Amino acid sequence: MTLVLASQLPALIVLLVLGTVAKVATVRSGGEMGTLARLGPAALVPARIEVPVLLVCAVGELVIATGLLVSTSPIFRWMAVVFFAMCTYVLLEVRRRRPDAGCGCFGEVSTAPVGLRSIARTMVLTGMAVLSLWAEGPGWQVFLQPSWFVAAGVVVLLVLSPELEEMVDRLRYRAPCEQRPGPAVEVTLARLRSSGPWRQHREQLATVEPYDSWRELCWRFFAFERRDGADVVFAVYLSGRRPAVRVAVVEHEGNGALPVYTPVSA
Amino acid sequence: MGYPSVERRRVLAAAALGREAGVPGSGEGDPLRAVMGDILDISPHLIIIETPEGTEERLVIAPWATAWHGGDKAPSDLPVGSTVIMRTLRDGRVVERLWADITRLTGTILSVEGRKDLSVQLDCGPHRGRRTIVIPYRATGRIMVRHARFEPGFLFDAIGIRKGEASLALLPATSQPAYPARAVPAPPPAYGGLQSRVSGTATWSDVFDEEDRGAAYPMVERSDVDCPDAEVSCTGLPYLAIGSMLQVRNSCTDRSANVPIVACGCVAGRFCDRCVECDTSPRGRIAELSPFSYVELGGDLVKGCFNAQIGLG
Repeated sequence: MTLVLASQLPALIVLLVLGTVAKVATVRSGGEMGTLARLGPAALVPARIEVPVLLVCAVGELVIATGLLVSTSPIFRWMAVVFFAMCTYVLLEVRRRRPDAGCGCFGEVSTAPVGLRSIARTMVLTGMAVLSLWAEGPGWQVFLQPSWFVAAGVVVLLVLSPELEEMVDRLRYRAPCEQRPGPAVEVTLARLRSSGPWRQHREQLATVEPYDSWRELCWRFFAFERRDGADVVFAVYLSGRRPAVRVAVVEHEGNGALPVYTPVSA
Repeated sequence: MGYPSVERRRVLAAAALGREAGVPGSGEGDPLRAVMGDILDISPHLIIIETPEGTEERLVIAPWATAWHGGDKAPSDLPVGSTVIMRTLRDGRVVERLWADITRLTGTILSVEGRKDLSVQLDCGPHRGRRTIVIPYRATGRIMVRHARFEPGFLFDAIGIRKGEASLALLPATSQPAYPARAVPAPPPAYGGLQSRVSGTATWSDVFDEEDRGAAYPMVERSDVDCPDAEVSCTGLPYLAIGSMLQVRNSCTDRSANVPIVACGCVAGRFCDRCVECDTSPRGRIAELSPFSYVELGGDLVKGCFNAQIGLG
């Protein structure tokens, strides 16, 4: 019986820590796209306290998780029960008042509108927290002696998590390179400098710093001036660790020469 | 890193990738030309203007021509001294549509003051600064009915006229998006990979240089254009640069033109609205054109948008 009672502590602790990390990551990535306004508790409060509400939520989760992990004090266990019961209420409220808002349980991964599964999950979690009230040892002991009950709890939670499908979808339907934010200019420049075409042309360049750089679709272009006045332009593909690099030397327009094409691939 | 010459970028990029460099200009069809100037004299059949270069030009007004100056007018009723943009046929000799002192007021509402005539301060983006506009009492009804959240933080888009130093907003240019300006919805997942052509709405803005032909495009890298508000759009747009050539097609008139990107469209990207000019367009402003490009693509400045399709020129 003791096994059953304590068995759900690991699942609760891991979920609470994941929730904290995901919420803090969402806040840090700056909710400027307005993602915050469509997430769980933040959807219910005025815009200026959205970030504090999410952070308070995250800190609360972390405190409860640490408490459950290291102590047997009933305070933390009751806090967990109250927290998950409150979550259930908040989700019901979000579903009623903002049917378009996501639950925000795991930050911006949980942007899908709150469904019955999310609500069922918080109810199951409340039940698990209630079970754990009577557990004997602190949470870390259960981590050391895992049982089938732990696995069963995790499976139930996985089945009730809409975030899993969301993550699979994100991997499957990832935005194409042309629509994804690219790596920083410095990173691309470093990749260019370790490429073959760069070594071929480096000697002839007037300076090693580009005078112009721009991104178009999946390519980043760097324009350099050559000692004889012509332009050397490198195009670096933005995806992959050793990207394709193309280069062309273009004479200045003034002398009427046509561009000289010397495409080289890395 | 500045951008020394946008044309140069096009040549260099084309050379590096071994493709043809696009050339600005319109495609097939009877070409329209936009002409701009200050009215020196106007009669029912002839208009004399002074162009921004200082030359005087005489143009014939077509019998079917219509004019706009805060409302539909007969061309001969336009006041002398006003600035007109005209859509012309036959190499810019015959005028068929005139817009006098027209201006577009697009931005985020910062403050609203006044009881009858409203004075609104707009944030028009990092490059364009702030602008104070006036909504005269007679226009408040039509504008407010399309701007349900008339409060700071929400978007505003209207068409009006310039009167001396002041800008008067007279017509709503869109139905205001329901979200705050900083909460633009994310683009839908790219199920089909990258589309070679993207549909949406194309609008115009009068903050370009006079007689400039170009477009502002939302999806440009922030570090390239030094604009913290770029890279926001609710349509799956590919990244392009200032200097890239955009092929814009007006789906309503079936005209297309190659338009260079000359600015960062950070305000346009925040509007996730539709254009209902000839049909209902998909959501999202994909390009904000200069008045000249917009008129030459067959758009009506008073309507404020046309259904458009863009591709890389």
